Amino acid sequence: MIPDGQTLSYDAAPAFSTPLRFFITAPLFGAAAGAALLAAPELLDSRWTPGALAVTHLVAVGFMLTVMLGALFQILPVVAGAVIPRSGPVATVVHLAMTIGALCLAWGLGSGSHAFLAPATVLLGGGLALFVVAAFLGLRRIPVAQATPRDLRIALLGFAVAVALGITLALALGGRLDLPLLTVLKLHIGWALLGGSGVLLAAASWVVVPMFQITPNYPAALARFWAMGTGAVLLVWSATVYGELGSAEFALSAVLAALCALFAVNTLKLQRQSRRSVPDMTTRAFEIGMGSFIAGLVCVLVAQQSEQQVWPLLAGILILHGGFVSVIVGMLYKIIPFLAWLHLTQDVGKAPNMKKLQPDSPIRRHLALHAAALAALLVAASVGNAWLIRLAGLLVVAEFAFLFANIIKVLGNYRRAHAG
Amino acid sequence: MKKTVDARGLEPPQPFELVMDALADLPKGESLLLLLDRMPHPLFRILDRDGYKYESRIRDDGVVEIDILNP
Repeated sequence: MIPDGQTLSYDAAPAFSTPLRFFITAPLFGAAAGAALLAAPELLDSRWTPGALAVTHLVAVGFMLTVMLGALFQILPVVAGAVIPRSGPVATVVHLAMTIGALCLAWGLGSGSHAFLAPATVLLGGGLALFVVAAFLGLRRIPVAQATPRDLRIALLGFAVAVALGITLALALGGRLDLPLLTVLKLHIGWALLGGSGVLLAAASWVVVPMFQITPNYPAALARFWAMGTGAVLLVWSATVYGELGSAEFALSAVLAALCALFAVNTLKLQRQSRRSVPDMTTRAFEIGMGSFIAGLVCVLVAQQSEQQVWPLLAGILILHGGFVSVIVGMLYKIIPFLAWLHLTQDVGKAPNMKKLQPDSPIRRHLALHAAALAALLVAASVGNAWLIRLAGLLVVAEFAFLFANIIKVLGNYRRAHAG
Repeated sequence: MKKTVDARGLEPPQPFELVMDALADLPKGESLLLLLDRMPHPLFRILDRDGYKYESRIRDDGVVEIDILNP
C-alpha cells in the first residue's frame, strides 16, 4: 500500500523570485569591483590598501556571499528537502540587508569612513543571522546522516563565525576594541573562505557535480568526512593563530591546503569520468576553478614564508576570482535555466528545452572573457603596471556585465514562454 | 507487470521529463517504479499537488526507488 505524499507541501517550494533577486544584483557588485580597479589601479599596490579591501569585499560579500545565499534558498528545499519558514519575506529582508550592507562595507573600507562601517556590520550581521536561524529551522527535521544537509549546517556555522570575526574587526578598526588586528584578520579570512565558502562549495558539489556533470559520486569517505575533518583542523589552526604558534600554524595551514587540494583533485578526477562525450560549459568553469584553487593554495603557503607583497595578492586573485567566481558562475548557468524550466513546468505545464532557455554559445563567450580577466589580473598584479591593472579592471567589468546580460536573457526567454 | 522508468545517469531535467511523460500514460489504479540517483524533492511536490500516492526508499547500492500510484 502506497501512503499519501509524505514529504513537503507544494507551497513549500520557494517562488522563482526568491533566489533570483540575489542572482540579479550579485554581478553588479563584481562589475563595481572591476570599475574600482579601472579607476584606481594603485589599490593593487598591496592587499592592505583601503581600495584592495573594498574590492575584495565587493567580490566576496557583494558577489560570492550574495549568490551563495540565493542558491541556499533553493538548494535547501530542492536538494536537502528542508523548508525555510516564510522563505519569501525572509529572502526580501536578507537580500536588502546584504545588498545595502555590502555597499556600506565596501564604501567604509575604501574611504576609511567608520560612519559606513557601523551600519555595514549591523546589516550584514543581522541579515546573515536571520538567514542562519531560518535555515537551521528548516534543517531541524532533516537527518544529519546525509552528507549535503550535514555539511550545509557546518558551512552555516562557518559563515556565522566569519561574520562575527568581521564585525570584531570593524569594531577594532573603529577604535571600539583593542585587539591584535592581524590575528583577527587571519581568522576572519580562514573562516570566511574555508569554514563558510569552501565547506558550502563542497556540500553543494557532493550533489551538483554528479547530477549536472554526469559523473560517478564522490568517494563515500571523502563526502562523509571532508567537511567535518576540515572544520576540526580549522578549529585547531585557529588556536595556533590565536596563540601565535608560528611553526604549528604553518604546519596546520599546510594540512588545510592539502585537504582543499584533495577536494579539488577529486573533483577534477570525477570530471574525467563524466559520461558526457563533450565537456559542457559548467565542467570547463569547474576546471578553471579547481586549477585556480590548487595554484592559489600554493601561493598561500609561499606567502607565509616570503616577505614579497605579490604572493598574498596572487593567492587572493586565484582563490576568489579564479576559484570561487569560476565555480559560482558555472553553477549559476545550471541553476537559473533549471529553475526557469521547473517553474514553467509547474505554472504552465510545459517548458521549452533548457538549451533554448540558456544556449551554450553566450556561456562559452563569457567563460573566455572570465579566463582573460583572470590572466590579466594575475599578470597585472605580478608586474604592477597601472595600465595593465586598468585593462584587467576593464575585463572584469565586461565579464560581470556579460553575466548580468546572460541572466536577463534567460529571464526574457522565461517570460516569453510563460506568456505564450 | 509494473512499468519501470529508469532515469539514472541523466542530466536534469531529463529524469523529470521522463517521469512526467510516463505519468501522463499511467492508467488509474496502476503504479510505476521510478529509479533515480537521488531523492527528487521537486517531483514529490508535484506528485502531492496532482494527487498521486508514492513511497520512496534508498537501496543499499544508493539507488533511489519510488513507487508511484495513480489512485
